[in-house]
Amino acid sequence: MAGIIDLILSIIFYPPIYQLVLVGLTGSLVVVIFIIWFERKATARVQRRLGPYHIAPRLAGLPQLVADLIRYAFQEVIIPRTADRELFVLAPIVATVLSILPIAVVPLTSNPAYWPIPMDYSILVALALTTVSPIFLIVAGWASNNKFSIIGGVREAFVITAYEMIAIMSILSASAAVLTFNLVEIVEAQRIWYILLNPIAFLAAFLSVLMATSGFPFEIPESENEVVAGPFTEYSGLLYGLNMGAAYMKRFAFSILMVLVFLGGWSPYTPGEGILSGYLIPSLIVVAKAAILMMIFSLTRSIYGRFRLDQALEGAWRLVFPMAVLGFGLALLEAYLGVM
Amino acid sequence: MPARPVVKRLPARRGLFAGFKGNVDAITIGLKYLVDPKRITLIYPNEYIKLDPGYRGFIVLEPKKCINCSSCARICPAAAMRMIRRMEEDPKTGKKKMKLWPVINYQRCIFCGYCVDVCPTEALYTVPYHDIVYENMAEMDWGLETFVKPPEYPTAKEGIPVKYIVDEEKGLVKVRAEEGEEE
Ligand code: SF4
Ligand code: SF4
Repeated sequence: MAGIIDLILSIIFYPPIYQLVLVGLTGSLVVVIFIIWFERKATARVQRRLGPYHIAPRLAGLPQLVADLIRYAFQEVIIPRTADRELFVLAPIVATVLSILPIAVVPLTSNPAYWPIPMDYSILVALALTTVSPIFLIVAGWASNNKFSIIGGVREAFVITAYEMIAIMSILSASAAVLTFNLVEIVEAQRIWYILLNPIAFLAAFLSVLMATSGFPFEIPESENEVVAGPFTEYSGLLYGLNMGAAYMKRFAFSILMVLVFLGGWSPYTPGEGILSGYLIPSLIVVAKAAILMMIFSLTRSIYGRFRLDQALEGAWRLVFPMAVLGFGLALLEAYLGVM
Repeated sequence: MPARPVVKRLPARRGLFAGFKGNVDAITIGLKYLVDPKRITLIYPNEYIKLDPGYRGFIVLEPKKCINCSSCARICPAAAMRMIRRMEEDPKTGKKKMKLWPVINYQRCIFCGYCVDVCPTEALYTVPYHDIVYENMAEMDWGLETFVKPPEYPTAKEGIPVKYIVDEEKGLVKVRAEEGEEE
């Protein structure tokens, strides 16, 4: 009996399965549901409204999102006759899967027994994986064969060119400061959280993640009153839900990466031996920190309006990109002085 | 004459950090409301707005005052008010006589209140509510029996009456209607 339980546990906590399925898929679904609820509720508070309420006033309308999810799941999926069928169906699915893929390669503990991949170049692998999924948004827009979706896709392409460099530079600045590409070493090196040592890089990373996941004020590819729903205009039902969820899941993946790089990962906890203290608790700490970070991301929705495309691009290249370069310079300086 | 083209210039570029203060202000206000929301949503069936007397809601007829003059039906812009004929006994002579009475059809009424204004004897009056649901269209066409008494107002039985007032500092605020105290 004990042998069977051990076997099941070792399967569940086999790092690739645990991180991809439990943290990546289930965890991000739960976090995303909570975050969308929080986003709606917080926006409502700031705008003096109530937000979701009537479905369960005691829980402040939390089941509303579950209801929405069920509705999406059972809606008819309409594929337009003019659309490119295979790509139209595949693009959102691939985009969703790819957007949680970075979670499968980051360490959620310092215990080497529970690393999904060898950690030596993990920050590079994770960053590389974050850059794959946006292509499929453009594919989705292209395959829909609708002017709004194509415009949305082209906008997405513009935004990608603006944020990708910033995201990579600002997150890599940590590895410049610690002189390693090993995410575990980066986490372990943070006696002081890296956000305090290099707030400029953090701010640049924050803004670039907002752009990457089309959060306000950069909700440009999907801006409702200009291009209907951007690349997702023709989508309905579960595919639309996937498209919308993909942005949030991507934000979750980026948040986990940012927690590891800037917010000390699993600190203040020191992972020990065994599944519980070596894997489960540190990973839960990381996920909780990522959820808090996502709550901060969500707040921008209630505070900012939407930038025009040119404003966003100009801001990204003239303001945020120099900021990222500055952050990188600061990291080099810190490495030279040996702060970390 | 064709319109003359006007050369417009973009305003001069402001400095790199000109927007900084604006951003900080916006975030501060956002956080302030997040911590202390001053919600003004009306939770409708549980709360309802108590309207002042004189509000143009449903219209009721006082048959004692009515002189059967048809002015209300004539002025009605939506043709909601119409006159019906009734054989009635004259109380003095005891003779049967044809009389005209106004009835109202709420499928058409736009609640403009012209009929109330035009009535020479003030036989029509408005009640300060208009949110009543009917099960079918036929029920909305009132006969004379329904028209002579104020309609039932189910919302008031369950809901809390509230009012919106403009506060000097807080802007719009929702208060309980009867006590006039803040929620
Ligand atoms: S309120 Fe206006 S529309 Fe309604 S019955 Fe009177 S005159 Fe006609
Ligand atoms: S205008 Fe007044 S008095 Fe004349 S018919 Fe209408 S309700 Fe009666």
